[in-house]
Amino acid sequence: MGAVLGYIATLGVYFFIYNIFCLGLNIQFGYAGILDFTVITFMAIAGYFAGVAVLGPPQRGSEIFYILGLNLPWPIALVIGVVAAGTLGFLIGLVALRRLRSDYLAIVTLASGSIVYGIVNNDNKIFDGAAGLVGVPQPYTSIFGFNPNTYTWYFLIICAVMMLLCWFVAERIYRSPLGRTMRAIREDMDVAEAFGKDAFRVRMLAMVLGCMMVGVGGVLTLAYVSALSPAGWSTGETFVIWAALIVGGRANNLGAIVGSFLVAVLFNEATRFLPTIPGDPNLISNIRNMCIGGLVILTLWLRPQGVIPERKARFAELPTAAKRRPPGESLVTLGSVDSVG
Amino acid sequence: MSGDGSAGASIVTAPVVGSTPRAGGMLVVDGLVRHFGGVKAVDGCSFEIKPGTISALIGPNGAGKTTTVNLIAGALRSDRGRIVFNGSDLTGKRPHQIAEQGLVRTFQISREYASMTVLENLMVSPLHQSGERLLNVLFRPGRWRNEERQHLERSLEVLDEFGLYAKRDDYAGSLSGGQKRLLELARAVMAAPKMLLLDEPLAGINPALTARVADHIERLREGGITFLLVEHNLEIVERICDHVVVMALGATLATGTMADLRKNDAVVQAYLTGGGI
Amino acid sequence: MSLFLLSLGFGIVTAAVLALSSVGLSLQFGVTNFVNFAYGAYLGFGMFLTYTLASLLHFPLWLSVVLGCILTGVLAVVIDLVILEPFVRRRTSGFFMLIVTFGLQLLLLNIIQAVWGVGFQSFTSGSGSPITIGPFSFTADQLGIVALAVVAMVGIHLLLTRTTLGKSMRAMSDDPSLAKVSGIDTARVTLWTWFISGCLAGLGGVTLALNTVSFQAYTGNNFLFVIFAAVILGGIGKIYGAMLGALCIGLVVEVSGVWLSSAYKLDVAFGVLVLVLLVRPQGIIPTLGKA
Ligand SMILES: Nc1ncnc2c1ncn2[C@@H]1O[C@H](COP(=O)(O)OP(=O)(O)O)[C@@H](O)[C@H]1O
Ligand SMILES: [Mg+2]
Repeated sequence: MGAVLGYIATLGVYFFIYNIFCLGLNIQFGYAGILDFTVITFMAIAGYFAGVAVLGPPQRGSEIFYILGLNLPWPIALVIGVVAAGTLGFLIGLVALRRLRSDYLAIVTLASGSIVYGIVNNDNKIFDGAAGLVGVPQPYTSIFGFNPNTYTWYFLIICAVMMLLCWFVAERIYRSPLGRTMRAIREDMDVAEAFGKDAFRVRMLAMVLGCMMVGVGGVLTLAYVSALSPAGWSTGETFVIWAALIVGGRANNLGAIVGSFLVAVLFNEATRFLPTIPGDPNLISNIRNMCIGGLVILTLWLRPQGVIPERKARFAELPTAAKRRPPGESLVTLGSVDSVG
Repeated sequence: MSGDGSAGASIVTAPVVGSTPRAGGMLVVDGLVRHFGGVKAVDGCSFEIKPGTISALIGPNGAGKTTTVNLIAGALRSDRGRIVFNGSDLTGKRPHQIAEQGLVRTFQISREYASMTVLENLMVSPLHQSGERLLNVLFRPGRWRNEERQHLERSLEVLDEFGLYAKRDDYAGSLSGGQKRLLELARAVMAAPKMLLLDEPLAGINPALTARVADHIERLREGGITFLLVEHNLEIVERICDHVVVMALGATLATGTMADLRKNDAVVQAYLTGGGI
Repeated sequence: MSLFLLSLGFGIVTAAVLALSSVGLSLQFGVTNFVNFAYGAYLGFGMFLTYTLASLLHFPLWLSVVLGCILTGVLAVVIDLVILEPFVRRRTSGFFMLIVTFGLQLLLLNIIQAVWGVGFQSFTSGSGSPITIGPFSFTADQLGIVALAVVAMVGIHLLLTRTTLGKSMRAMSDDPSLAKVSGIDTARVTLWTWFISGCLAGLGGVTLALNTVSFQAYTGNNFLFVIFAAVILGGIGKIYGAMLGALCIGLVVEVSGVWLSSAYKLDVAFGVLVLVLLVRPQGIIPTLGKA
């Protein structure tokens, strides 16, 4: 019984973490139209930096090397990780968000991701190369207790709180003039600029905010699994997040939530526990990734707007609206020149 | 519009090619040059727009009118020449900086924010919205909610003026061609510009609507907005424009009133009788 | 000095590999006007199809290469017909085509892994003692790669300038709507373009595999942004630009090895890409015209 509950809690943790990833990508792609094809890199960088902030300095002669090793408490590590992800996003944005065509932007993100992956994987002085960070202490085990089944439930609460925080930020932005300007830039950048919007600033804001949010998810991932190595953040992982957002419905945060449930939890995480096929240990994961790639293509074909499409903006009607022309009468055919001055 | 009997000898307005415009205009364009590889799209364009006027920029297709608009609005960099708006030099400024100074342009083809509602299309326009600052958005909603209400009220007013009120909650992409042109103008008005640069605001709309857009432009001029419009419809130009700039082959050929230009042989030769209108 | 010359020699080989791959990508972009992010997986199919023919069915290498590339071309056509063309016909914007091909990338790479496994493979080819030409020395494989690239580039040049198909491709690349009204069968030209693009991807993949000795499913995909760097440097959609871009990137990447560890090759290519995008995003030769 405890094991089943623990399993459900684990899925819950992944659900919230993927919510956070999707909310972050939604700000970039759904709001501002930025094709970030390396979302997972920001998750990883945040995780790594938080990890080396929490871990103590590497033992001498242990053949394990990593930078920093600061022995800091988790809240500070969270900040460090999130800032690191935001900084990387800013640097990539400096190149990618100049007025480049959207395919170039996608190429820059993809290429940056490969480069970061190559560096982290090959240089074993930064985050211990291909071995990665292991044995990162989970947060607050002394308070919550070490029993993995009950601990997961506490961790679930942390994830839920973080997710609500991200949800709040994402929704606030969407409903604000800032979110509206982001969407205008997504629709037509030249026009938005001709109307005085600094597209570079606004897109950079979306990029960095999105990266930081993904970073929050990254730190939570590391805190939960207490290890992170390059094998855990390949291109395929980026695609899970993309698939979740596309399936759920881009530019709609509710869609991001629904998508991360359908794709990241129901499909991806559930199949992770299927037995491996003897003789070919990777086949299950290959088939899963094929399905995710196919799912995105199918969604774009069958329901391009996703399960929950972007909602139409509604403004509360003002009292003065009553004195306007009744609908249907005032279309283009009706002159309105004399209504003023 | 064939300048038949008016080919009189007296040239009232001398061609201004290469001459320095007088100071004091709202918009002064001086010796503008922009080449694309071997194509001299704009090659010595100079003119001056007085505040409170409606001016037209006319010329045959490929004369460089759109390129000139792009240069003024900062969408393209000029190779040479100066653009001064309200006394400040626009050379090298980015498009949004130019818009912030009150000089707003529209595009030759309608480019609405298609998957946003008509009302939202207008709500984007006001400059310097305090709700565009992240800190205000997250921590000080009171600061912009009030402003937002004013923008909303003003947007509805403007939509009403342009006869688009009933369409306010429709996606802009679903409007008809003529409605999109009206939306472009309404959206530009919401930016509270000092001057509007309209690139063929009447292109591709029916005659009835043409007259109405022209009326809107005149009404807005009464409200204090200066206009420069690229236009092919010389009837409308004659009706509403105080001043006309003629471009050919990238250069200013002549400036003056429509009546002046009729008497100008060079203009009549190059344009008024030359077809391509 | 000899190290420099040696690197220069390697640079020419890398440039040859790059030229094969980037011309295929650029040609397809010019005609269809969207970027194919799955292209790296096409390289992978070229490698593994050829590998299957050569190592498992024991065909001679040259025949395996020819068949492998034709099969990759056919695959590219099938993928276009089944997956991409429907989106194009629906007028999906280039923006969303990027996401479609990104999804395709994941799909194809995992098909390769499912079929051929995740491990490294290598071609067993008779690379004997190095052959010295002037100041350079090459292995037989490397000479073969360069020769193949030269032949392919000349072939592409003749195709584009001498044949109706090639001229139609150029016309579509310059102005798709004009090409359509002037009576070009754009659907047929598009399919041929995908076939040629796929063949070149296959060739690029095989030569890449020969050049890097061992390969796996992701080898082609990891090379993708180097191909992009060459394509963008030459001006995207421009065939001769892609050739020139490939030469530049190939030389720069290998010659940088004189001063930098060879582990940084990809980083050098990335540096060039960033530099190009910052300084001259339209590419070095925008006036040459597309295709
Ligand atoms: N981006 C560009 N690249 C190359 N040539 C251009 C570009 N924009 C405009 N041109 C050329 O410049 C000339 C002027 O174009 P344009 O300003 O659009 O004329 P108009 O608006 O008066 O019809 C045309 O010959 C056109 O082909
Ligand atoms: Mg024009």
